[in-house]
Amino acid sequence: MNKRWILPFILLVSPTLGHGEERDGRAIVKDAIDHWRGQSSYTEMTMVIHRPDWERSMTMRAWTMGDDHSLVRVIEPAKDRGNGTLTDKKSMWSYSPKINRVIKVPSSLMGQSWMGSDFSNKDIARADDIIDEYEHRVLRVEEVDGITVNEIESIPHEDAAVVWGREVLRIRDDHVVLEHSFYDQDGALVKSLKTLEIVEMGGRTIASRQRMSKADKPDEWTEVAVNDVEYEVPLKESLFTLSNLRNPRD
Amino acid sequence: MRLTPVLFRLAWRNLWRNHRRTIIMLGAVGVGVWAMIFMTALTRGMVDQMVIDSIGVLPGHVQMHHPDFQDDPSISNRIPFQEAELQERFAGAGFKAWASRVRVPAVISSERESRGVTLLGVDPDAERDISFFDYDAVDGRYLTDASDQGIVIGKKLAETLETGIGKRVVLMSQDPDNDIADRGFRVIGLYAATTKSVEESYAYIGKSTAQQMLNIGDETTEVVFLGDDYRDIEGTYKAVSSVVDASVSVLRWHEIDTYLGTMMRVMDGFVLIWVVVIFMALSFGLVNTLVMAVFERVREIGLMLALGMKPGSILGQILIESMLLLTLGLAAGNALAWATVVPLEDGIDISIVAEGMEMWGASSMLYPKLYASDMILATGVVLLLGFLASLAPAWRASRYKPVEAITKV
Repeated sequence: MNKRWILPFILLVSPTLGHGEERDGRAIVKDAIDHWRGQSSYTEMTMVIHRPDWERSMTMRAWTMGDDHSLVRVIEPAKDRGNGTLTDKKSMWSYSPKINRVIKVPSSLMGQSWMGSDFSNKDIARADDIIDEYEHRVLRVEEVDGITVNEIESIPHEDAAVVWGREVLRIRDDHVVLEHSFYDQDGALVKSLKTLEIVEMGGRTIASRQRMSKADKPDEWTEVAVNDVEYEVPLKESLFTLSNLRNPRD
Repeated sequence: MRLTPVLFRLAWRNLWRNHRRTIIMLGAVGVGVWAMIFMTALTRGMVDQMVIDSIGVLPGHVQMHHPDFQDDPSISNRIPFQEAELQERFAGAGFKAWASRVRVPAVISSERESRGVTLLGVDPDAERDISFFDYDAVDGRYLTDASDQGIVIGKKLAETLETGIGKRVVLMSQDPDNDIADRGFRVIGLYAATTKSVEESYAYIGKSTAQQMLNIGDETTEVVFLGDDYRDIEGTYKAVSSVVDASVSVLRWHEIDTYLGTMMRVMDGFVLIWVVVIFMALSFGLVNTLVMAVFERVREIGLMLALGMKPGSILGQILIESMLLLTLGLAAGNALAWATVVPLEDGIDISIVAEGMEMWGASSMLYPKLYASDMILATGVVLLLGFLASLAPAWRASRYKPVEAITKV
């Protein structure tokens, strides 16, 4: 190589040299979501909704298949037993045995709370929007307890149906999401999902306890703890249908 | 009839025989008539402003929708014409202004709040004359064309959502397949309206952008037409109805906003009742004055009858006297009302009670409106009822027996 070309070449390459093994932000996020969900999965989890003057917990079962299909069904407490939520690519339905009706969640309610928790319906139905509707950038790479953690800033596209100014995800190299923070358009933290426990379960290292809390109301939070999880379980398409939402056959 | 000028002169002179009583009565009639017209002008002004504001927001004096749109203003009930077909039908028809628009309910959310709004996809060029706010008065800027990517919302809504110019909000609605149609928009402008409730209700985006978001090709849900005056819309209504069939429904503004239409009709009735009520109070004074006048002149009337004047002429004389009194009072009252309303036509600031006024859709400025028709109505009612009220004392005067009357002590 001609000597004259060496300097510009080094200048061009050097920004990437520092993080030799750094991967594309989008890929990191996508891998994390795939890791969490697998091709298909079955999860049993307990959700605790905490408020200053009350607290309640719900145990539910969730099935996912591919990117689009998921079904969540409450098994405890008894009075909520049978309540379910089904999502496909774009839509979300909820079923309540008390009224024996399947209701398609209208757009006006997508921003509302899911089962009274700090998650919105949209958080549940459209979780993987984050892959394609955002611009991802690796902010920093650091070592925590001997594992590399990528801090990724995701900024929604101009026309994305996202109200946040930006979201920051801290994802370990083994695809475990440590923290997912939502910032408003002035850069102030609004809410964040933090991982409190990481365990080996179902053959993977996963975040087994996560807490969603609002920045300005620290004593209101929702915690989701995974009790049991299985990945790559054979599931039938018929599981994710409206009739199964109404009449469980599992 | 030769006698009439004489009767007039007699009545006129009689009127001023007790000039103090006449002046007091004139004052009473004048103030009464002034109150009728002035109060009517105030309420007229208030209702007019309400109607104009509300029509501005509707907007359009005549609107065309899918027949089911009034009951269910959803995206499924679209106008079954393509844009080209609309152009062909209406472009050359000589409307003052017309525009096709996408109007659907939607939810707008910011990081902290979400609200239901009426989403309007508009073509800003076509709507310049229809819009209820001035494009140039918008904070920030208004949409530049139908494919503008921004959103314009009301100031109050921006406050509620804790957002502002330059920030993004998300609109959510439904597409024709009942799937969620949502998209982020950057707020480019904030408009001000006369009432806060309007500022909270309408969000404007480009028409093409809306059609794209809602997945409806180039179809629309509403076509609005503007006539010259909201009172006279039959011409526009007929012009629109004549070029469409029953696949769409064409409605006048008072059929769309029935509250407003009813309000206008109630207002007309209210004016009449108000005038009559004030006259009731006035009539006691009037009848009393006439009874007194007749009572004072019993012997004189008896003499005239004895000299051969017909009872009909006595009746006429009293009636003429009453009519003269009322005419003078009406002239004074009308003049006074005109003199007080005209200087106030630039508006009375009632912002102290603005919040209360807003609850029923009126704004914080009151522009009194003097209508010739209201003045004529008041004058007519006073003359007619005054005539009827004067009949009794006049009748009594004409029925005196001359002998008894002359000798009455």
